[in-house]
Amino acid sequence: MSPARQSSPQSRRPEKKGTAVETISIKIPASPEYLQVVRLVAAGLASRLSFTIEDIEDLKIAVDELSAYITGPHGRSGTLAVGFKLHGDRIQITGTGEYTESYDVRTDLSDFSRMILETVADSAGLSSSDGTPGFTITKSKSS
Amino acid sequence: MNDRATLDRAEVRQLFSEYKGAAENDRPELRERLVTQYIGLVEFLARRFRNRGEPLEDLVQVGTIGLLKAIERFDLEREVEFSTYATPTIVGELKRHFRDKGWAVRVPRRLQELHLELTKVVGTLRQELGRSPTVAEIAKAAGTSEENVLEGLEIAQAYNFTSLDAPIDSEDAGSTSFADQLGSEDEQLANLEYRAALAPEMAKLPERERRILYLRFFKGMTQSEIADSLDISQMHVSRLLNRTLIRLREALEV
Repeated sequence: MSPARQSSPQSRRPEKKGTAVETISIKIPASPEYLQVVRLVAAGLASRLSFTIEDIEDLKIAVDELSAYITGPHGRSGTLAVGFKLHGDRIQITGTGEYTESYDVRTDLSDFSRMILETVADSAGLSSSDGTPGFTITKSKSS
Repeated sequence: MNDRATLDRAEVRQLFSEYKGAAENDRPELRERLVTQYIGLVEFLARRFRNRGEPLEDLVQVGTIGLLKAIERFDLEREVEFSTYATPTIVGELKRHFRDKGWAVRVPRRLQELHLELTKVVGTLRQELGRSPTVAEIAKAAGTSEENVLEGLEIAQAYNFTSLDAPIDSEDAGSTSFADQLGSEDEQLANLEYRAALAPEMAKLPERERRILYLRFFKGMTQSEIADSLDISQMHVSRLLNRTLIRLREALEV
C-alpha cells in the first residue's frame, strides 16, 4: 500500500495541502470468497490514514457485514463495486451491487446487524437507488 | 446415459428406494449414482470454506464423506428434499475437518509465526503508547513491512474456525467463567428483535465468546478494554470476535 514514489516522475495523488481527497475503486465478483479482498483494501487504505488497528478491525467488520448483506450468503451473479474516499482523517466506503440477474433487494437490516454497525462505524447502512443494492460506511480516526 | 443429468424429485426418490432395498452387491453402483447426482451440492458447500488454506479438491472429498453419511441416514418416509436434509451433514463434516486439524496444521507456518509475533508486538506497543497502535508503528516495531502487518491482521479473519471448542493457542486454554453475570446479558441479548434463528445460536456460544459479543456491542467497550478485562491479548479478542460473527452469520445461512 505504500506508493513507490521514487520510481514515478509524478505522484498520482494531487499534492494539495490538507484538502486532498483520494478515490480508489475496486470491482470483485459478488461472491463470499472475494469479500476478503474488500477487507484487505479497506484495511490498507485506512492504514494510510494512520487508523489504529482497532479502528481498522472495526472498519473491516462494517465492510464485511454490509458486503455480505447485499451479496447474500451464496453470492450473486455479477460484480460488487466498492469505492473508497479518503478524506484526511476519515474514510468513506460505498458499495454497489451490479448484478446480472434481478434479485429481491433487501432494504432492512436486522436489529443485530444495526447494533454491530452502530458500534463499529460513525455511520453505516444500506442504500438503494432505483433498485440497485448498495451500502455506505463512514468512519473517522478515533484519536 | 448421462448420470450427471438432473433427475427430478420423483426419479431421485425412486433411486433412493432402489438403493435402500438393494442387495449388498448392487449397492455400490446405486450409491455412486446418488453421489454423482449430489456432488454439485457438495462442491457448492465446500466452496464456502475455500479461504482457509485448503485446496478445493480436498474440501470436496471431505464434503463427500458427509454426503455418504446423509445418503445412508436419509429416510424416504420424511417429506423433505434430500438436498435440504443433506446440507447440515455435509457442512458439519467440513466444519469438523477444520476443528480436528487445528490451527497448527492448517495455517502456513509463516503466517502462524507472523501472527504470534504481531500479537506480542501489539501488546508491547499498547502498553508503551497507552492506546492501540497504527499499522506503521507495528511494522516499525516488528521490523517488517506494512503489507505483512496487514496480512497478519487478516489471518484472524481468514483462518477462523466455526467450532469454538478447539483451542487455537495457549491463550484459549482455561477461559474464565462468567456465569454470574450472564443472566442479565442474556436478557439484553434476547430483547433484540433478531430473527428467531439467531436466538438458539447465541445460546450455543461459549460463555467467553458471548461475553465478548456483549461487551463489544452492548457496552461499547473497545477490543483493548475487553482484552484488559479478560486478561487476554487484543489480537485474541479480535480473533474471537470475528470468529463469533462469522459463526452467527453462517448459522443463519443454512
